[in-house]
Amino acid sequence: MPGKVVIIQPIEPTLAVRLYLPLLSGMALTFRKFVANVFTPKTRPTIEYPEQRRDYSDRYRGRHILKAREDGTLKCVACYMCATACPADCIEIVAGEHPNLAYEKYPTVFEIDLLRCVMCGFCVDACPKDAIWMTKDYEMSYFSRQEAVRGIPELTEKPSDTGADGPGYGYRPYYGASPAKKAGQFEPSGLSLLPMTLARNAAINRVPPPPPKPPAPAPAPAAKPAA
Amino acid sequence: MSATLSASSDVSFAPLIERKFPDGSVHLERRPASDVPTVVSTPAASVEAARFLRDDPAAAYDLLLDLVAVDRLKLDGPPSFRGDERFQLNALLYSTKRNEHLRLRVALPASDPRLPSLIEIWPAADWFEREAWDLMGIRFDGHPNLARLLTHNGFVGHALRKDYEAGQRWLCTDEDVLQTKLAARSDLPEDVFETMTLNFGPSHPSTHGTLRIVLRVDGERIVAAESECGYLHRCFEKMSETHTYTQVIPYTDRLNYCSPMINGNGYARAVEQMLGIEIPARAKAVRVVLSEFSRIMDHMVCIGANLVDLGGLTTFWYSYQAREEIYSLLEACCGARLTSSYARIGGLSMDVPDNFVEWCRKLVKSVTTHIQEVDTLLTKNRIVQKRMSGTGVVTKEQAIAWGFTGPCLRASGVGYDVRKDKPYDGYDEVDFDVPVTTAGDNYSRYLVRMEEMRQSLRIIEQVIARLPGGPVVSDDYRVVLPPKEMVYNEMEGLIFHFKNVFEGIQVPAGEIYSYTEGANGELGYSIVSDGSGRPYRVKVRPPCFPLFAAFEKIIIGGMVSDAVATLGTLNIIAGELDR
Repeated sequence: MPGKVVIIQPIEPTLAVRLYLPLLSGMALTFRKFVANVFTPKTRPTIEYPEQRRDYSDRYRGRHILKAREDGTLKCVACYMCATACPADCIEIVAGEHPNLAYEKYPTVFEIDLLRCVMCGFCVDACPKDAIWMTKDYEMSYFSRQEAVRGIPELTEKPSDTGADGPGYGYRPYYGASPAKKAGQFEPSGLSLLPMTLARNAAINRVPPPPPKPPAPAPAPAAKPAA
Repeated sequence: MSATLSASSDVSFAPLIERKFPDGSVHLERRPASDVPTVVSTPAASVEAARFLRDDPAAAYDLLLDLVAVDRLKLDGPPSFRGDERFQLNALLYSTKRNEHLRLRVALPASDPRLPSLIEIWPAADWFEREAWDLMGIRFDGHPNLARLLTHNGFVGHALRKDYEAGQRWLCTDEDVLQTKLAARSDLPEDVFETMTLNFGPSHPSTHGTLRIVLRVDGERIVAAESECGYLHRCFEKMSETHTYTQVIPYTDRLNYCSPMINGNGYARAVEQMLGIEIPARAKAVRVVLSEFSRIMDHMVCIGANLVDLGGLTTFWYSYQAREEIYSLLEACCGARLTSSYARIGGLSMDVPDNFVEWCRKLVKSVTTHIQEVDTLLTKNRIVQKRMSGTGVVTKEQAIAWGFTGPCLRASGVGYDVRKDKPYDGYDEVDFDVPVTTAGDNYSRYLVRMEEMRQSLRIIEQVIARLPGGPVVSDDYRVVLPPKEMVYNEMEGLIFHFKNVFEGIQVPAGEIYSYTEGANGELGYSIVSDGSGRPYRVKVRPPCFPLFAAFEKIIIGGMVSDAVATLGTLNIIAGELDR
C-alpha cells in the first residue's frame, strides 16, 4: 500500500498573526484554566501528595510480599525460580529442609535487595507456588542500604499490607493467560499442552543460514526438545 | 514466516552486482526471508560496493541506518571465525526512493580489523564508526576523528568484544576527561571579536539529560561545535548478552523513557520474527493502541520541554497533563506508569483491564482537548513562530545524508514512516496520514509532531472500534510461560515453566534486523542468536543517535539560544542515545 503522505502547509503569517492577536486566545485559555482551578478544586489535575494519594490499579508493581499457607508457614519452597528469572539479580535464597515432611524444602534466607530491584514483576510470573506477590506500596525509602535488603520477617505478608489502611495487593500471578480457559473449555489433560504443529516445529528448529561460501547447509543446532 | 533461504530473487539489482564485481569480491548472501537482504563485500572492495549501492539507480541506498559490529569469537562455525573472519561489520541501509532495506556486510580478521571509512559515502557513518571503534575495536582508515564515543578516554579495551571480561573498572582521571580539540584549534576565526569556548552540559537544564556540547562562540554566534555523549551509558548491549531473551525486556523500557512501550514492542517483535511465531490479533491491536498513546506522550514531552527552554512554561503543564492521563492507562494495563515491561516474547504479559475500550475512548477525547490547548497556545503564536521558523534548518539532502528518520526526516520533506511503508502489527489496516513539511526548520518539526499526534488518535480510534477478542499471548509454551492453572496442577505445565525460566527461550541460530517506528524514528534491533537462551549480540538502532551526531553541524552559524531550540525539537533522549 503506497503511503498517503500529507504535506502540511506552513502557517501563513496573516495580519492577525503579525499583530500577535492569537496570543489573546492563549491568554483566554490560561485564564479559563486559572478560574476553573480556583473555583472547582476537584477538577484540578494535581493532588496534594502526602495527604491525598493516587489510586493505583490492582496490577501495581510495588513492594513484594511472601504469601503464607493457612498454618502460617511460607508457601515458598526455595526452588530458586524467582532468583533465576530476576533480571536485576536482586533475590538471595538459601534453602533448608523443612521439619514438616509434606513441605520438604523452605527458604532459611530469602532476601530482596530493593535498591537493585527494577520492579518488573518477573519473580511473580516465575513463581510456581503462588508464593510471591507484590503490593501497591510505592514508598520504599530507607535510612541505610542495609535496611533496603528485606529479609523473611519484613517480606512475610502482614495484616498491615492488606488491611483497610494498607496499600493492598498489587501485581499477582495472572490467571487469564489460558486461551482455552477464556473460551470456557479449559481441560486439565495433557492433550492441550502440545499445541505446536509440525510446521511451527519446523520454523522454530529451522536451519541456520550457511556461511557465505560454499552454500552447503550447515548442520542444525542441537534443537532443544520441548519437555 | 517462511524459513526458506532466499537470495538474488528478492534483490532486483543482483545481476548488476555480478557484472560490476565479476571477481566475486561483492556478492549476495542467502538469508531467511524474514531478514533483510544482504550483500557481502571484502574489506578492500567495501567502499566501491558502498558507492555502487548508493549511486546506482537500481540500488539507490541513500540512507545509512546503522553500523552493527559483531564479534563471532564464540559463535559456532568454521575455524575461520576465530581467524580471518572474526569480526563482522554490517551497514544497514535504506533506500528512500525504493523503500527497501539492505545489509552490507564486511568480514574482518581477528588481528587489527580495519577497513576504509564509509564517511564520504554516507556522512551518517561518522558516529557509528566511532561507536564501532570504541566498543568493538574496528579501525576505520580515513575517519577524521576516530575517538571513543560511549566510554571515556581512560577505558582500556573494547567492551563488546567477546573476550572482554565484563565488570572491569577503569578510572577516568583528570587527564582523561575529554579536552575537546576545539579549544586548541587554531583555524577558527579569532580576528573580529575574541571567540570563546563555552561548555554546554553535561548537566544543563535544557539538555534534558546528560549531553555535553562544547561551543566556540563569537559573541552569541556559534562558529564551531563539538558534541559528546556517553554520560548515560548503561551497557545495555553487553548486559543483554548475559540475560535471557525475556529478561532483556525490562531493560528496553529504559532506552527511550518517554515512550517505553514502543521499545519493548520493537524488541519482542524482533525476537518473534527470529522464532517465526505469529502473535494473537488482540496482542497486536493492544500493542498498536498503547504504542500510539506512547507516541503521543513522547511528542507531548518533546513539545512541552522544548517550550520550557524557549521560555514558555505554560505549555509544559498542559502537555504533561495528557502524559499523566496516558500513564494511568498504562499502569492499569501493566502495573507501572513508566517502566511498563508489558510486552512479552509472544504477546503481552496480561490481558488489558475490562474497561480498556471505554477508557481509551475517554482518553482520546481528553487528549484531543490537550492537543487543542497546545495548538491554541503555540501554533499561531508569533513569538513561537519567530523563535522557531528558520532556525535549525536541515535540508532534505542533509537529512538523508545524516541518517535522519522519524519526525525530523519527515519535517525535511521525506515521507518515510515504517508504519506506512513497511506496515507491521496491522498498521496496513488502519487509515492514517503521514504528515510531511518541506522547510526542515524547528517550526516544521513542531508542526509534524502536532499532526502526528492527531493521526495517532485516529489510529487508536479505529483499532479500539474493532478490538479483537481472544488471548493476548501465544499458546506456544516453549516461548511463553504456561497459564498458572497448568503450572500449579500439571506436570507438563511445570516442566515447560521450569525450562522457560531456567533455560530461556531457545531462539534458533541466526541473525535479524527488525525495525519499528519509534517516537523519534526508526527503532531497529539487530539480534544475533547462537541458538541458546541468551542473545549473542543485541544492537539497538536508537533513532536519536544520528540526530545528535548531526546536531553539531546543524547549529553552526546560529545563535546559542537557537541551538537550545534545535536540541529540543530534535528530541534527544539520552537514555536511548547512550544505551
